[in-house]
Amino acid sequence: MRSRRYEVDDLHAAQEFFHSRGWTDGLPAVPPTVDAVNACLEWALMPPDQLVGIEPVRQRAITAEKLAVNAVMAGCLPMHFPVVVTAFSAMLQEPFLLHGATASTGGCAILIVVNGPIRAELGMSGSFNALGPSDRATTVIGRAIRLILCNLLDARPGEIDRSTLGHPGKISYCVAEDEEQSPWLPLAELRGVPPQASAVTVMAAGSPRQLMNEWSTQPEEILDTFVAEIRANMRHYSIWPGNYALIVPPQLRTHFARAGWSKADVQEYVCRKARIRRSEWNECGKGAVVGERGDREYAAFTGPDDVLVIAAGGPAGGFGAVIPPWYGNKSRAVTLAIGACVDCAV
Amino acid sequence: MSIEFLDPTHESGPAPFAPAKRLATLRGATVGIVSNGKKGTQPFFHAVERELRERHGVAEVVRLTKANYSAPAEAEIMSEAERWQALISGVGD
Repeated sequence: MRSRRYEVDDLHAAQEFFHSRGWTDGLPAVPPTVDAVNACLEWALMPPDQLVGIEPVRQRAITAEKLAVNAVMAGCLPMHFPVVVTAFSAMLQEPFLLHGATASTGGCAILIVVNGPIRAELGMSGSFNALGPSDRATTVIGRAIRLILCNLLDARPGEIDRSTLGHPGKISYCVAEDEEQSPWLPLAELRGVPPQASAVTVMAAGSPRQLMNEWSTQPEEILDTFVAEIRANMRHYSIWPGNYALIVPPQLRTHFARAGWSKADVQEYVCRKARIRRSEWNECGKGAVVGERGDREYAAFTGPDDVLVIAAGGPAGGFGAVIPPWYGNKSRAVTLAIGACVDCAV
Repeated sequence: MSIEFLDPTHESGPAPFAPAKRLATLRGATVGIVSNGKKGTQPFFHAVERELRERHGVAEVVRLTKANYSAPAEAEIMSEAERWQALISGVGD
C-alpha cells in the first residue's frame, strides 16, 4: 500500500491525531491499520491501486486503497466495503455533478439507498428510525462516504464544502429499502437493475421533510400530503424540477396495497399534481423575483421517473417524508448494481 | 502499545498552477467576465463593466454566463476566452 504511515502511542493519541488534521467529522474514528484496510480490499477483491474513478472537475484519481482507509475510519467492516465503493462509483458518474453537490452553498448531503439481498447480509434495517441511525451498516456506510469526501476531495467545512447550513444527513444518510414488507418493486429494480441484484442509488439531497396523515386511507389523499410538502419545498427553497425521494412507511403502504396502487401509480399521481405557479412566491416573501412570469406553472418533475418511491420506516405511524433535490435536475440520482462493471450497461 | 495507521487523505499536492502574467495596462484590451449566472451578479457586473470601460479604457467587455452555477465553464466559453487579454471569473450569489 502506498499511503503514508503514522505511528502513535495509543488509541487516545490516535484520536487526537485524527482531529488535529481534520480527518474526521468530530466523532471518534477507527485507526485504519494496514490489516484492517487489507481486509476490506480482500473482501471486495480489489488491489490497493485499483482506480475506482477520477473526480471529473479536479481530475483527482480515487483508488480502492484510499476508499478503504476512510471506510475503516468510519467504522466499516470488510463486508460493508463493496457498498461504499459502489456508492462512490455512482457519485463519480457525470450526471451526479459531484463537485457541485459537495461544494455548493446549498448544503446537500449524499442520500444512499440500498436494495437487494446485501441488505440482509449486512443486517441493514429499513424499519424503525429508517432515516436516523437505524443499524450499524447504514450508519457506517453513510459516514464512510462523508469521510471520503472530506479526505479525498477536501470537502471539509470552509474548504471545498461551502455549505451555508448543511444538515444532519451530512454525518450519515443511508437507508435500506424495506423490500420484504412492501407490496412494491424495489427502487433499484424500477431503475433498471435486474431482480435479486443488490444495488445502490445515490442522490444529492436536502434534509428530510417529515409529514403526517393518519386520517385517510385513500391513496389520493395521502399523496396530496406528500404533494403539499413538495410544493412547500418549491415555494420555500427551489422551484426547479428534479429527483424527489418519497419515504413511505408501512402504515401508509397498507392503504396503497389495499387500493392496488403500484409505485408507478404513485409516481404518475405525484408527478401530475406537484406544481406551483411562480406567483405563489408572492406569499413567501419572494415577490421580488416573480417578475412577469407570475402565471407560469412550474412542475416539480420532468417525468414520473424523477419520483423515487422508497418503502421504509417503522411499523406504526402515518408518517412519511419528502427528500428534496439539492439543485433541481442539475444533479441526477444514479443507480449502480453492486459488483457490476461501471463501464458496462447494467 | 503503539498503533500504526494509514493516511486517509489524497496526499497529492495542489495541482500545478501559475498566475497569468499581469497586463501592463487594460487600455484597449478585451476583458471577459464569466458569470456563474446567479441573479445577484447582474447589477454588480454591470458596475464592473462600466468601471472597466470608463476608468480603465477597456475596448471591449465580453459578458458570458455559465449554464450551471455549480459546474465548470463550458468548453465554448473557454474557447472564446482564448481571444481575451483578461478574464474575470464572476462568482457571485
